[in-house]
Amino acid sequence: MSSGTEHEDRFRRVYAANFEPLLAYAMRRVEQPEDAADVVAETFLVAWRRSREMPPEPEVRLWLHGVARRVLANHHRGGLRRGRLGERLRQRLRAAVTVDPGSEVPERLTMQAALARLGELDREVLTLTFWEGLEPREVATVLHVSPAAVRTRLSRARARLRDLVGDDLGPPGHVLDVMAAQAPEEGR
Amino acid sequence: MTDEHLDRMVRDADPYRPDVITHLDGAAQTLLEEIMSTPTLEPAAEPPGTQSRRRVVSRLASASVAAAVLAVVLGVSVVNSDQPGGGGASPGTGATSSGATGPVSYSAMVLKAAEESPRLLIDQPGWKATTVYGFAEEEGTIAFRNEERELAMNWYPAGQYDGYRQDRLHVSKPEPVKVDGWAGELFRYSASDFAVMLRPRDGSFVELRTGGDWTRDEFDRVLAHVVRVDARTWLAALPAEIVTPGRVDEQAAKVLADVPLPPGFDAAALGTLGTNDAYQFGARVTSRVGCGWIAEWLRAKQAGDDAALKRAGDALRSSHSWKVLHQMNDEGDWPEVFWETADKVAAGESFAGYRDALGCE
Repeated sequence: MSSGTEHEDRFRRVYAANFEPLLAYAMRRVEQPEDAADVVAETFLVAWRRSREMPPEPEVRLWLHGVARRVLANHHRGGLRRGRLGERLRQRLRAAVTVDPGSEVPERLTMQAALARLGELDREVLTLTFWEGLEPREVATVLHVSPAAVRTRLSRARARLRDLVGDDLGPPGHVLDVMAAQAPEEGR
Repeated sequence: MTDEHLDRMVRDADPYRPDVITHLDGAAQTLLEEIMSTPTLEPAAEPPGTQSRRRVVSRLASASVAAAVLAVVLGVSVVNSDQPGGGGASPGTGATSSGATGPVSYSAMVLKAAEESPRLLIDQPGWKATTVYGFAEEEGTIAFRNEERELAMNWYPAGQYDGYRQDRLHVSKPEPVKVDGWAGELFRYSASDFAVMLRPRDGSFVELRTGGDWTRDEFDRVLAHVVRVDARTWLAALPAEIVTPGRVDEQAAKVLADVPLPPGFDAAALGTLGTNDAYQFGARVTSRVGCGWIAEWLRAKQAGDDAALKRAGDALRSSHSWKVLHQMNDEGDWPEVFWETADKVAAGESFAGYRDALGCE
């Protein structure tokens, strides 16, 4: 087997194992579902081109998340170009995701709005923990901070989040400003 | 509300719907094949956009990049030999809307570094340099913006030219162009996205890359106005927001206005930082301040000098009110990392990794 084929086989394995986690990561953090296609395409393109830097497979997901985080930040600043890649995925996402705002549970919207109001690092620590299901050590790898810093920040972020949602989640049926769910500062 | 309740609510608020994966009709496989049909050449992995490069750098806080960058910058000793003549003539309006007035002196090192950089400007009204980074290094970026359009100029060591070119040959067929009389090749990423790689000269080569929506005609028109200028003109043409060596003292005074300085801090040495935008300048200056106070804290701790220890701790904690860090906070993570590191040291909790975190020498 040539090294080229090994290299390709490895990339296919990494792609297959990580496509959905990365798609989910991107879709959770973009305003329009189809924009997730650009983020996923760019992330895997970087991975393909930098595959020599890619860590062994147990760690590769975290490495990809780190890449995706930078790609996403670039997207939020308007710096990510719609590339040549991923057009079909973009079309499918646009078609597949039809959100009926009326079907959203108010509690979820309240929480999403509160998360959007947190600082970027606080929000990332919480969402990587509870949406991506990463351990503090893994969150630390993605964010390039120490695990101790993640634990400290997690408890601080919880406290802030509790303050933010505390009042709003009191009486049931409380209506919130849905538009606040996507904060412009997301990419910072 | 308990932590468990809160955590469950966060989990429940996850906007991702797993069923989306069943509606992709092979689009994931198509993307895989598209990606694997592109070249894997390592040098090309660097995203050409200046924004992404800048972002990486602005995260220097948490990476050893900072240390390397600072080491390169500081590896050059500076002789502040004032040069007569000053700023030189601006080649036009637009990018050359300099805020600097009067003669400006540049150190020999700064002029030498400018000589070694591509020194390209857009001699057309409306263009303004917004991002400058890496001026004192082999690689660098300068980005010009005109409303929604951006033109980034990235330069790299000449030795990487062949590798980059091989990669770009997969982007499109090259088309010969000239920029201020110098030969290059134009590559077309899409109908609105172009790049021009110039042939190497003086040890480096430049790639110009569009950002935002361009037409080919617009790109050609702007290319016709890209000019190469001498070092003094180039420095003088950068807008007031860019911290050129001539503006270091003034900007340093602003940055340091409410910042306590550690013992032995040499503000005059900030002239070695080259040319940076305000964010990068702020990061580099506060890096030196932070590193200085941490070194002082460690010294005082070892010496049992309680008064100095308290002074250093207070100084580090005071970073939460430094105006410069608050101004930078919208642009990147440097302030967050600075505060976290400073707090840990001031609390006597942890010193591991502070050098990497703050880019201490």
